[in-house]
Amino acid sequence: MNAAARQTDMVTLNVIDSTMVAICREMGIVLMKTSYSTIFNEGLDFTCAIADPDGEMLAVADYCPAQIGGMPVVIKASVKELAVEDMQPGDVIVHNDPYRGGLHTPEHTFFQPIFVDGELMGYAVAIGHVSETGGSVPGGFASEATEIFHEGLRVPPVKIKRAGKDVDDVWKLLLANVRTPRQNYGDYRALISSVDLGQARIADLITKYGKATFRQACRDLLDYSEDRMRAELSAFPDGKYSFDDFMEDDGIVDQRFHIRVDCFVQDDEIIVDFSRSDKQAHGAINATLGVTWSASFNAILHLTDPAIPKNSGCFRPIKVLAPGGTMVNVDYPAPEVGGNTETHPRIAYTVIGALAQAVPDRAPATDAGTHCNFLFGGNDPRSGEYYVCYDFLSAGWGGRPFADGNNAVNCINGNCRMIPTEVFEVRYPWLVEEFALVPDSGGAGKYRGGLGVTKRFVCRDAPITVSHMGDRHKTAPWGLHGGREARTAELRIMRAGTKEWLSAVEDAGKISPSKFAGLTVQPGDRISLTTGGGGGWGAPSERDAGSIDEDLREGWVTADAVRGDYGRAGAEGDD
Amino acid sequence: MTRRLVGVDVGGTFTDFVAYDEATRSIDVWKNLSTPEDPTDGVLTGLGRVDSDSIAHLRLGTTVATNTILERRGATVAYLTTRGFRDVPFIQRGNRKSHYDITWIKPDPLVKRRHCLEVNERTDRDGRTVEPLDEAQVREIAKEISNSSDIEAVAVNLLFSFLAPAHEQRIREIFAELCPGLPVSISYDVLPRWKEYERAATTIADAYLKPGVGRYLNRMADRLAERGLQNKVVVIKSNGGEMSLGGAAAAPIHMTVSGPSGGVIGAKHLAGLAGIRNLVTFDMGGTSTDCSTVVDGAENFTTNFEVEWGLPIQVPMIDIRTIGAGGGSIAWIDKGGMLRVGPQSAGADPGPACYGKGGVATVTDANVVLGRISPENFLGGAMALDAEAARAAVGKIGEQIGQTVEDAALAILRIANTSMVGALRAVLVERGLDPRDFTLLAFGGAGPLHVADLMVEATIPNGMVPNYPGQFSAYGFLMTNARVDRHRTVQMSSLDFHPGRATDAMHELVQTAVADLARQGYRERVEVTRSMEMRYLGQNYELELPIDFDVFDDTTTAAVWQAFHDLHAARFGFNVPNSIIEVVNFMVTAISATEKPALPRLSDATEPAVPTGQRLVRYEDGAHESPVYQRDRLLAGHVIEGPALVEEAASVTVIRPGQRITVDAFGNMAIGTVQ
Repeated sequence: MNAAARQTDMVTLNVIDSTMVAICREMGIVLMKTSYSTIFNEGLDFTCAIADPDGEMLAVADYCPAQIGGMPVVIKASVKELAVEDMQPGDVIVHNDPYRGGLHTPEHTFFQPIFVDGELMGYAVAIGHVSETGGSVPGGFASEATEIFHEGLRVPPVKIKRAGKDVDDVWKLLLANVRTPRQNYGDYRALISSVDLGQARIADLITKYGKATFRQACRDLLDYSEDRMRAELSAFPDGKYSFDDFMEDDGIVDQRFHIRVDCFVQDDEIIVDFSRSDKQAHGAINATLGVTWSASFNAILHLTDPAIPKNSGCFRPIKVLAPGGTMVNVDYPAPEVGGNTETHPRIAYTVIGALAQAVPDRAPATDAGTHCNFLFGGNDPRSGEYYVCYDFLSAGWGGRPFADGNNAVNCINGNCRMIPTEVFEVRYPWLVEEFALVPDSGGAGKYRGGLGVTKRFVCRDAPITVSHMGDRHKTAPWGLHGGREARTAELRIMRAGTKEWLSAVEDAGKISPSKFAGLTVQPGDRISLTTGGGGGWGAPSERDAGSIDEDLREGWVTADAVRGDYGRAGAEGDD
Repeated sequence: MTRRLVGVDVGGTFTDFVAYDEATRSIDVWKNLSTPEDPTDGVLTGLGRVDSDSIAHLRLGTTVATNTILERRGATVAYLTTRGFRDVPFIQRGNRKSHYDITWIKPDPLVKRRHCLEVNERTDRDGRTVEPLDEAQVREIAKEISNSSDIEAVAVNLLFSFLAPAHEQRIREIFAELCPGLPVSISYDVLPRWKEYERAATTIADAYLKPGVGRYLNRMADRLAERGLQNKVVVIKSNGGEMSLGGAAAAPIHMTVSGPSGGVIGAKHLAGLAGIRNLVTFDMGGTSTDCSTVVDGAENFTTNFEVEWGLPIQVPMIDIRTIGAGGGSIAWIDKGGMLRVGPQSAGADPGPACYGKGGVATVTDANVVLGRISPENFLGGAMALDAEAARAAVGKIGEQIGQTVEDAALAILRIANTSMVGALRAVLVERGLDPRDFTLLAFGGAGPLHVADLMVEATIPNGMVPNYPGQFSAYGFLMTNARVDRHRTVQMSSLDFHPGRATDAMHELVQTAVADLARQGYRERVEVTRSMEMRYLGQNYELELPIDFDVFDDTTTAAVWQAFHDLHAARFGFNVPNSIIEVVNFMVTAISATEKPALPRLSDATEPAVPTGQRLVRYEDGAHESPVYQRDRLLAGHVIEGPALVEEAASVTVIRPGQRITVDAFGNMAIGTVQ
C-alpha cells in the first residue's frame, strides 16, 4: 500500500540506507576502541543508531538487540521533554531514566542533534551499558532493590555538552555519584566521540543528497520496511495464540510472576496483548514499557526475514498492549534493573512460544533465558582504586525446526562477548579454575538444545562484594513439539575451608538463589556460575542415530542421558 | 647470462606470473589457468615460458593455507590446554554473527572435542606458577597419541604462557621424545599474546595446516627442483615478507593472506617511487574485493584477522579487508522491490550473463551495457562477450524497478560502489584516517573500471592505476624483503615497570626474530625495529609507540611514558598525564633487505596520446562519445582528459568527464580532477 506513495527511487533508497547503516557501524567502532569498561570494549554491550527529528529510528548497526527495539521509545521520550528550539549544533544529551523511556539505569543514551543549514534533521544516538551507576551495590544491578533509587543515579535528559563545550556542572554531578569516576569518564567520552562522528557523517550525507531528498528517502525507507514486515506477517495464519511463562521470584518475595501473552494475528498485523500478566513485582525484575516493546519486537524479528532493514517502520504493524502497574509496564518508583536483561528474554520467548503455534517451521525452543549477570567490586590492592565489573555468561540456545541449538551464545536480547579469562584475571582479583560447556544441559529432542556454560573461580587476595541478577534456577527452559526441557542455571558458593557448594539462600539466607546483592566474598572463597541450556525441539525419538553417536563421542551428552532421554544404550564410540 | 626475478601468485582461477629481466630492465607478465587438483601443474606450465636457468629468484604467493581452512581439509589435531579450559575453542566469545537470523550455525573450531585434552598446570597473571606441570600426565597423553593413528598434529595452549612459556616448551620436548616427527605447535611460538580463545584458535590453525601445507610445499620444491629451481624459491607471508619453504612449512599460519599482501607491498613501493604519502588499495576481482592502506609510506598491520566469522588468526599480518563483492556479484530484486547487488556471485560458471552461458545480471554485465567493457576486447580479446545477453539480463532488472536498461545498469554500479565505499571507509575510519588525504590505487581485473566512480563517492581526491593491474600482487612480490614480526604480551604498567625484565623481554624478542631470519638463510642487511603497545589503565585498545633503544633504564623509561602521553594527545586529542599506563605488548620486526628490480622507465611523450577508437559510454551525467586509448602505447607525460577509456590486456580504466589521467615516468596512470 505504501509502494505507490513512495517517491524515492529504489536505488537511492538502497544507497542512503546502506550508508546510514555503515555510519552506525563506524560509530560502534569508535566506541569500542576508546571506551574503558570491559562491558563495552570486550562485551560490545552498546548500540548506535540514527533517528529522525521525531525520534523515529532510521537506521541501526548490529550491536546489542535489547537496545534496538527500545531505541525509538528512548529518543521520543527525550525529544518530548527537551525543548527542540533549545537544541543547537554540538549539544550532546545524556539520559538513563527508565521512567522516561529508558530501559534500565545502566543503559546510558547519548545523542546529538544533526543540523544542516541551521535546520534540525535528526539525531545520532549511542546507547551503552555503563557498568557503574552508583546506588546500593557496585555494578548497577541492585538485585534486592525495592525502589528505583536503589539502582543508582537517575539522569533525565540533560545536556552534557552544550554547543560543543562540556557542561562542567553535569560532569561533576555524574562523576560524584559513581564508584569508578575515571572509568565512567572514559566511557562517557567514548559515547560522545561516537555521536560526534555520527552527526558529522550524517550531515555530510544530507548535504550530498539535499534535505528534501533525504527527508523523503527516510519516509520511504520506513514505509519500505513496514511493507516488508506486513508481507511477512500476512504469511502468519490469522488467529489468537497464547502462551504463559514466568519469572521464578523477584529477589524480595519467593513467588512466581507470570507473563501471559495473547497474540492476535489478523491479515498483516499483530497485536501482542500482555493484559493477563501479573501485577508488578516488589523486586527489580519489572520491565518498563520500553523493555516490553523491545522484547516483543525482538521476538517477531526472529521469526521474520532478517534482511528487512531495521528501522521504526518494521514496528508499525505490531501493537503491544501492556497495562500500567504490571510486570510488563512498571509504575514509578518500583525497581526494574533486571527487567532489561532477565525479563526481556522471558517476554521475548513467551511471544515466540505463542507464535510457534502459528509458524511452527520458524520458531525455536527457548534459550536458557538468563545472562547470569554477575556484578562485583572492591578495592584493588595493587592500585588502591575502586574497581567494578559487570560479568555475564553466554548460554544454550533452543533446538530449531531444522538444527540443534548453538552452544554458548549470548541470550536473545544480547549479543555480547564474554570477557576472556586472561583479561578477567589481569583486571580483577579472581583466579578462574574452570570455564567449560555443561554436558547434558541442552534439552533432548529431534534437534537438541545448545549447551550452557560454567565458570568457577576463587577470590585471591582481598574481599570482593558480589551481586547476582539471574533467573531459571528453579524452573527449566522449555522444549517445543515434544522436545525436552533443558538444565537450569545455578550460582553456588564454597567458603574457604569448607567442602560444600551452597546457594545464596543456604549461604547467606538470601530470599532468592538467583537475585541477591551485596554478598561479601573473602580470599579463598569460591563461586561457581552456570547458565542453562536451550530447550529441545521435536521428540527425542526422532533424533537420528548418527547425531546421537556424534554427541556421545564429543561428550555433549553422557551415556546415562542417552539412555534416559533417547531410550537407547550408548553407541560404540561411548567411552 | 640473463637473470630474472619472478613472482607467481596462485589464485583460485588464474595463476599470475611477473618476470623482471635484469639485463634489459624489462618486465613481462602473463597468466594461465590454475590447476586446483595439483597447483604445481599450473605453476610449472606458466614457468615454461621462461628459461629456468635464467630464474635467479622465484617468489610464490598461494591460497593453500586459507583454502585448507575454508574447505576444512586440514589435519586431525589434538589440543592440549590447562585443566579446566578444554572447551575454550568451542565456547569462543559467545556472541553471534548477526541478530535475528535463527538459521545461523556457530562455526566449528578446527578440532574435535574428543581430541581436546587437559593437563594439570597453572600460571597466574604475574607469570608465577600456581601449579607445576604434571609431566607424568603429559607423558601418558603423548604415549596415547603416539599409539593412536588418527592424530596428525598437536596444538598446545596454556593460560598465561605468553608470560611464562616453560610449561609449553616442556610439553613440546616431551612430545619430541615420545612422538618423534609429529608436528607440535605451541602458543608461545605461534602467538604469545593475551586472550586465550584467540590464541587457541590461532595455534590450532597452525597445527591444522602443518601436515597439508608441508606436503604442498614439499611437492612444489620437488617439482621445481626438476627444473633446477631448488633453493631459489621462497613463499610470501601474510606480513608481505618472504620466507623459505622450510620456514613456511614450520609456521604455515603466516600464509593466510599470502597472495593479497603482494598488492600492498607493490603499492608501498609505488608510493615511494611516485612520492605519494598515503594510498588506499582497491583490488577488485570477480568474487571479492580487498582493501588496505599505505600510510606515510608504510603498510598497516593487524592482529585481528578472522579467516571466517568467529575464527580469529591473530598473527601480525598486513591489514587487508575483504568484502564479498566483485565483478561477478549478482543483481537481484528483494521481496520489497529493492534492487540489491551480491553477496551471491555468478562465479566462473555460468559467470555473468555476458559470458553467454545462461548467467544472470552482474556488475560486469552492467559495465558491458554502459559501454565501459568492450565485448570484443575483454581480457585482451581472449574471450568474446555476449553484449545482447548482458542487455537482456540487465533489462530484466530494469523492468522490475521501472527503469531503462541503461539506468538499471547505472543503478547496479551505484549499489555495488556503495558497498565498496563502505569497505574503503572501514579501513580508514578504524585508524582515524581521512579519505581526503589519500590516493585510491585500483587494481585487479575490475578495479580500474570503478576507480573514477569510487574517487567521487568516497571523497578520495586522487586515483591511480598501476602497471599490470591484473597481475599486481605477483608484481608486488618482486619488491618484498625477508621479514619476521614477533609480538609478545608483557603485562606491565608504569606503576610496576621492571626495567630489567623489560630489557630481557625485548632482547629475547630481537634474538628470536633475527634467529628466525638466519635459520632461513637471511643473515645480511638485517635491520631490527622495536615498538611497544600501550594504553591508559582500563582502556582495551593499544597505541603503538616505536622505540629506538635496547636498554630500559630510568631515562629511557621516563621518555617512553612522555612519548605515550604525546602520542595519545596527537591521536585522540587528549591525554591523561597522571594516569597509569599499561604496557601490553612488545613488538619487534626484523627485515633482511633483498635485491629490488630497477623499474623500467617510459620515454617521454613528444606528441599527445592518440586514441585508437571511440565508443558511446554512459556515465552518471549521461552518455558521451569516449575516446579509447591503448595502455601499451602511452608514454611518460601523456595527459588524457575524461571522458575516456584506457584498455589493456587484463583491464579497462574508465575516467569520467571532468577527470584527467597523467602518465608518470614508470607508466602508472595518475587520475585527478580537472580544476
